[in-house]
Amino acid sequence: MAEELIKVTIDGQEFEVEKGRPLIDVINEKGFGVPSFCYYADLELQASCRMCLVRIEKMPKLQASCVIRCTDGMEVTTKSEEIEKAQRAMGEFLLANHPLDCPVCDRGGECELQEVIFDWGDVEERFDEPKNAHPEKFLSPIVANDQQRCILCKRCTRVCHEWMGEDAIEAGNRGSNTVIGTYGGWLNCSQCGNCIEVCPTGTLLDGVYRHETRPWELDQTITTCTYCSDGCQLSVGSRADEVHRIVARDRYVNGINGEFLCIKGRFAHGFVNHGDRIKTPLIRYKKGGKLIPSTWDDAIAFAAERIKESKKAGVVATSRLTNETVHTLKRFADECRDGTSYAVSDTYDLAPFFENLSAPLCTHKEIRFAETIVVIGGDVDEEQPLTAKQIRQAVRNGGANLILVNDTPSRLSHQASQFIHVNPGTVEAFVLALADPSAADMAAAKMGIGRAEIDKARETANATKGDLIIMFGKELGAEAQAVAANLPSRHENRNVKLHPLAGYCNSVGASDMMPGRKPVADVVAGSDALLIAGSLSDEEFAAADLASKPFVAVQELFLTDTAAAADVVFPAASFAESDGTYTNNDGFVQRVRRAIDPVHQAKPDWMITSLLASELGADFGYSFSASAVFRSIAESHEAYEGLRYPDLKDETRPVRVKHKLVSGADVSGAVASLRDRVSQFPDAADKITEEPRVGHKLHRVTTMTGKTPQFHLLANGNPKPDDLLVSPLFQFNPDGSPKKEEESEVAAG
Amino acid sequence: MATVATDYTNKVKVTDEVAEFPESVVEEMRSHLTKYPKDRSRSALIPLLFVIQRERGYIDNPGVNFLAQFLNLEVTDIWETATFYSMFNMHPVGKYHIQMCKTLSCKILGEPELTDHICSKLGIKPGETTKDGKFTVTRVECLGSCGTAPMMQIGFEYHENLTKEKLDDLIDSLE
Repeated sequence: MAEELIKVTIDGQEFEVEKGRPLIDVINEKGFGVPSFCYYADLELQASCRMCLVRIEKMPKLQASCVIRCTDGMEVTTKSEEIEKAQRAMGEFLLANHPLDCPVCDRGGECELQEVIFDWGDVEERFDEPKNAHPEKFLSPIVANDQQRCILCKRCTRVCHEWMGEDAIEAGNRGSNTVIGTYGGWLNCSQCGNCIEVCPTGTLLDGVYRHETRPWELDQTITTCTYCSDGCQLSVGSRADEVHRIVARDRYVNGINGEFLCIKGRFAHGFVNHGDRIKTPLIRYKKGGKLIPSTWDDAIAFAAERIKESKKAGVVATSRLTNETVHTLKRFADECRDGTSYAVSDTYDLAPFFENLSAPLCTHKEIRFAETIVVIGGDVDEEQPLTAKQIRQAVRNGGANLILVNDTPSRLSHQASQFIHVNPGTVEAFVLALADPSAADMAAAKMGIGRAEIDKARETANATKGDLIIMFGKELGAEAQAVAANLPSRHENRNVKLHPLAGYCNSVGASDMMPGRKPVADVVAGSDALLIAGSLSDEEFAAADLASKPFVAVQELFLTDTAAAADVVFPAASFAESDGTYTNNDGFVQRVRRAIDPVHQAKPDWMITSLLASELGADFGYSFSASAVFRSIAESHEAYEGLRYPDLKDETRPVRVKHKLVSGADVSGAVASLRDRVSQFPDAADKITEEPRVGHKLHRVTTMTGKTPQFHLLANGNPKPDDLLVSPLFQFNPDGSPKKEEESEVAAG
Repeated sequence: MATVATDYTNKVKVTDEVAEFPESVVEEMRSHLTKYPKDRSRSALIPLLFVIQRERGYIDNPGVNFLAQFLNLEVTDIWETATFYSMFNMHPVGKYHIQMCKTLSCKILGEPELTDHICSKLGIKPGETTKDGKFTVTRVECLGSCGTAPMMQIGFEYHENLTKEKLDDLIDSLE
């Protein structure tokens, strides 16, 4: 953004700054530092804590620097006796109702209020009136609430409204009785926990981590989230080889997501240290026999022997694995046995997209400042929460146009400037209408919308001067993906960027690592010895009939259906126990770091594969270090050429993959087959008008999220307990039914 | 020493039940909407809360759900507004809602004794309702009639220059 530069004097030093920036940002950036609670970058202004007071020449009173915009010739004083006196007085007011129970507060040690009061406060309290007291209670299974610690900065209500679009938490009552809460005292929202993250005090607390350790006892390890494809940077708090909590609090980590995380990233870490983890390698010596615990040497030797005996081997990777693992699996397929086929199990295959990519991928920052965003299909709110937040802020704070094409209404569709509500399963037709205007009438009819809607969307896109971002979800088949990837080349004068709403944390990376892959079903059907890293999806598993295969080896964390059907099971290390990289849907390669040692006898996935390979006589040239694997990646994949592992160190400056752009590719074949497909859609259908419940996908109990007990309650309707002071886990069974009295006594005792 | 605040709304059982109103009432609500710009319909929230309170006795859960749908708001937004104003009752009140003005003039001229008197007569504490559901006594902020202090409001009716005798007569006269 080219902005006019003006001169501002702060404490006698002159600075050139962009006109209209918030003064508080400039003061902090230039290293003067002013305390604040309610100010939060990129949220609506509140100016209620009055801590960021400064003296500005020619203004009658001290001013709150968060609501002052820089103007030319402004002379600011940040430090003087007058200001300190005012700030100390404000600190005293904030503490008037605060219980000062830091020794028993989970936030103690990383609390902004504590820090500012230690720095600025006059700790001597003069208020001897009774304080308002509220009991500690639960707002939901994972949000604990201690109302009396609140200083009413309203960061939580603002993030809930502006980031999540939910308005689930608000300030009720008035004056000194004001409390943060909800109607009925129970939170029925997506449970993202961002209110916990931004809270500068111990008012809103992590119910999963509640009273586990003190924050300063935790080792903070910066790593990448293992759930969706947004690739949020997070900080794993671990102690004594146990993961206790995950935060994005920006004093520990400051990646693409700032302090934003969703429920899965923040709370679903219970699987790492769960008792159901596979502890040792397992071997089934005879078909129909049991899986028997074994040693690594035996298991590797056994698996290598059986793979050697087989006629044709196959490798299946999953898109939750690191780039290092998928690359090693690819090398395993290429170098160990001739003719080994390989596949990636994912919600959808991104190959047609990257083969026809005609514009760069967009970053999350670009989404925030885009002018027009077109979202075709997908369920951004539930599947890519960071992308949804960026879209929401772009619309709300940046005035972006949002064109949403979907068959189901969602939270985001309320904010769309144009919500194109199509017949179920017909979003592909919209891609066709954009690519081939002559088919627009037919496409409109199949989608059950008027032609005018398509023209209006096209006009909005054509009138866009800034960034135009096109996102698409898994509804798009191979032809539609190819056509969508080619769309930007039809708009050469415009800044068009693409954003695939990929399924898993490394969908993009896995797609990069395994060019020339086959569909999972083909690989499974065509091989008599299989190496599967991770688990097949339910549909793939049902179709595969693994029990009938002569030999199947699986690398997994848990004994899933796939692992239970295997002949050899290797215990794999989770994302918190291994080093590596994930590539997110921005094209950023981000580090995954080892926070704790692998539990039991687990080993990182790529290490297992390379052990097996060396038993089969192939030497990959690496055995212990993820950086060596990454070097091999940089040597063998064009898009990763020139990337170096040490360059990926800083999460504030993520490094991008250079995906090859194809301009002017001929996609007429794809358009023609897409037209055929669309013409076979039914002519009339009932539209889905009911908006699914918030969290219908986020709260789903899966192999990983299901290991955090709170998810079971959320998935089962998030029942409100009679007693809000006791954790709901003590009051409900996992299926959401109330526990009988004697049971709950046992559980509590 | 600490006072324990009671948050009545925590005890509300939130359900999906939506209140139903006769067409004439819905029509009245729509007429409130016309006073505000089309894209600012949430401005009508306070007049509509008064309608809900009049029709249902207090701001109950089905009424809140109705408003949330009517104005396309979240229930928590309505809770925030309704709890800010002491004129909205978030829990049931008796047939006669006695609101004693507790602000300066009334307080100096004997409101605390009057409140004690009325409460002991009815056998309840301020903020409570009698068992027969007839009377609720609350202490409220200034009602703007300081010239005639001490005073109180029953429903929307003012009773001024109160004395204990006047109060007794008044309460005995209420059916």
